[in-house]
Amino acid sequence: MASQAIFFGLFLYLFLGAHYTGEDYIGSTVQRFFHFDPLLALVTIVSARLVYAYFAFALITVVATVLFGRVFCGWICPLGAVHQASSFVFKRTKFLKPPREDKTSLAPKYYILIIILVGALLGLDLAGYLDPLSFLTRSLALAVLPAMAQALSGLGGALYGLGAAGLARTLSQALQNWTINTTFIQGFSVGLFFLGAIALNARKERFWCRYLCPTGALLGLLSRWNLLKLKIDDEKCIKCGLCTQHCETQAHPYPNDQWKSGECIYCLNCASICPTAAIGFPMSARLEKLTNVSNVNLSRRKLLVTTLFGLVAAPFFRLSPPRKRAPLKLIRPPGALAEDKFLAKCVKCGQCMRACPTGGLQPVLTEAGPEGVYTPKLVPRIGYCEYYCSLCTQVCPTGAIKKQTIEAKNKLKIGSAWVNKSRCIPYVLGKPCIVCEEHCPVSPKAIKLVEYEATLPDGTTAVQKAPVIDLDLCTGCGICENKCPVMDDPAIFVTSVGETRSETNRLLLDISGGTSPDPYK
Amino acid sequence: MNRRDFITGVAAAGLALRFGPRAFAGQAASMGPLPALAAVEGESPAAITREAIAVLGGMGKFVGKGDKVVIKPNIGWDRTPEMAACTNPEVVKTLVELVLAAGAKKAIVIDNTTNQAKRCYVRSGIQEAVKQAGGDMLFVDDYRIKKMALKGEWLKEWDILLDVVEADKLINVPIAKHHSLCRLTLGAKNWLGATGGARNQFHQSLDKTVVDLSAFFKPQLTVLDAYRILVRNGPQGGRVSDTELRKTVIAGTDPVAVDAFGASLFAVETRELPYLAMARDRGLGEFDLEKVRIEKRKI
Repeated sequence: MASQAIFFGLFLYLFLGAHYTGEDYIGSTVQRFFHFDPLLALVTIVSARLVYAYFAFALITVVATVLFGRVFCGWICPLGAVHQASSFVFKRTKFLKPPREDKTSLAPKYYILIIILVGALLGLDLAGYLDPLSFLTRSLALAVLPAMAQALSGLGGALYGLGAAGLARTLSQALQNWTINTTFIQGFSVGLFFLGAIALNARKERFWCRYLCPTGALLGLLSRWNLLKLKIDDEKCIKCGLCTQHCETQAHPYPNDQWKSGECIYCLNCASICPTAAIGFPMSARLEKLTNVSNVNLSRRKLLVTTLFGLVAAPFFRLSPPRKRAPLKLIRPPGALAEDKFLAKCVKCGQCMRACPTGGLQPVLTEAGPEGVYTPKLVPRIGYCEYYCSLCTQVCPTGAIKKQTIEAKNKLKIGSAWVNKSRCIPYVLGKPCIVCEEHCPVSPKAIKLVEYEATLPDGTTAVQKAPVIDLDLCTGCGICENKCPVMDDPAIFVTSVGETRSETNRLLLDISGGTSPDPYK
Repeated sequence: MNRRDFITGVAAAGLALRFGPRAFAGQAASMGPLPALAAVEGESPAAITREAIAVLGGMGKFVGKGDKVVIKPNIGWDRTPEMAACTNPEVVKTLVELVLAAGAKKAIVIDNTTNQAKRCYVRSGIQEAVKQAGGDMLFVDDYRIKKMALKGEWLKEWDILLDVVEADKLINVPIAKHHSLCRLTLGAKNWLGATGGARNQFHQSLDKTVVDLSAFFKPQLTVLDAYRILVRNGPQGGRVSDTELRKTVIAGTDPVAVDAFGASLFAVETRELPYLAMARDRGLGEFDLEKVRIEKRKI
């Protein structure tokens, strides 16, 4: 449908714009889609107990849904567009043959929604795992785009080998200009989840939207009494059942009184497939009988059990050690809120990882506990924090990473560097190096050089300049670790201690060199 | 460029390197009346660059019609020009203009940067300047890096940017900066940006490395940007107070002499830069400025 194509194109355009374009400040439009998402708005505001002004846009979606139903799902949602397009392909290729009537329960997405909402009440932000915008952005950023870039890069190599050097060059230069990160720790699994979600459409049309999507469920709850009601003209209807068979979301258009306004996404398949053009969606303020709109079978008991389930499960998330003590290698992006607020606000969309120009921001698997899966951390061995860059802070849709100017960002410590003297070249081999020192971006440098007399295996000694760290000046950017010639386990490395955002993860009371422990207050 | 051209090019370069160290060093060195080194001081980076090249006999001496010229500035860092970490964009721009005006088919500007490449190209101002002058700004492509025989005393072989070695003519455009290991980074050390691979291992014998690289890449011309020099916290600085304005461009056909002259701006004795003596001993040039024909001008 044209509307979906337009919005998907817009989503992709904004997504692709969330990187180093050549401008230091890229504006906040790149994450605007997220701000229209009522689930993300509700969950982040409730779980973090912090209002984020940009989420005012979500009210537009709420009002539109109350008035006109789940038009967001059918007309706007970019993941919905992906599912609809792949469902279409599966139908055309006969992987998917919709049954005459599908009686599978539509309830799971409501249970998922309840668990997410219960979690939010307890301060857990679980929305990002299955929210369509987070899921799609994460999949594109960590898997699809990197895979495409690698494929194109391979194609460029092949073209070059075949003698089409000019074409190869154009391609490879353009790829560099797009600054696409191609190395992600969990790129493989994120990619497989995405393919899995698409493959489910071979089982049921729009599988995700029908059974899994918590955002769809929330919008469904809001749209039960909307004004656009399906109406079958009884005189024209020949009771063929095509409308119900080809309904994308199992909203059951026929018979008319079984139509579920909370499931209908207004794709208008039913109206267009009807051989006698008997189906329309006239404006009508008449109230549905409750049995009709809620015939997704959500009994009070089931709701209660799910809620209890959520209440019991949520504390499990808190049993892991990161809550007690900051993990060594959990280096959060500059501007990240203190860990509890950060976890409550991060929707795991991966936008910051897309924007990071060095590819250093990587999805967490275990370091931050179960609620921190897919949150960002800096892995200096993959990429470091570029001194004049604050892009990750600009693209965060929820403010989990607070927006920073470059000047402000450079006053923040994200960790501290340490020298491993038992691996460092001047300390052990008595040979010159200074690579960490020359890369240190702060001026005066946080890495100082001292003369060090190393004792070599043959008993002789050698004096070389060796690195010593001034922790007051070190920002923890990690370029030293990234560039250290000791490849496997760098002789200089960054850990999270001393990070500005934490009041507990410190070494000395005044390690931040005069900046206040929390610059956001 | 197709593969055949490339192989012929590499073979030709190899032969040229094998037969005589001077084969690549341009014609100007043998021309009696012209100086080997021009040092021009003045307010405008573009004007002093233009003047310095004119003193050496004009760009036409170095670049022929239809040549593919590679200009290799230092674009190593994500820093603005006033930090003096990268070559002054006006100097690079002027060279691109002169090269194209001399009839060159292409003026390619490339560097293997240390910080993220696009950021360096943009913030240094060089990408914009080169574009305005009609030159081609190239990112380093992985498939255009190849292990080549350097036949150096220390580096026997290393990963080299093919775009640099395949040039018909080569102009080295370093900036004069402080460096905590080799004291100063001038023209010779600028060649690290024309290599790939694990460059961070060079430091274990940096003086020998820069001499080996200088012996491999023989530029027709070296233009040292000393408009604003970095005097501390090198090689990237970070504050304007780390820099000093010298408003000078030094151009020369003798790369060793250019570096020696650069050292004098920092009041560094040539014997404090061991690579200069090593380079002279290898026949790459002369560091004793008494023995070099120098023309200094102020405009």
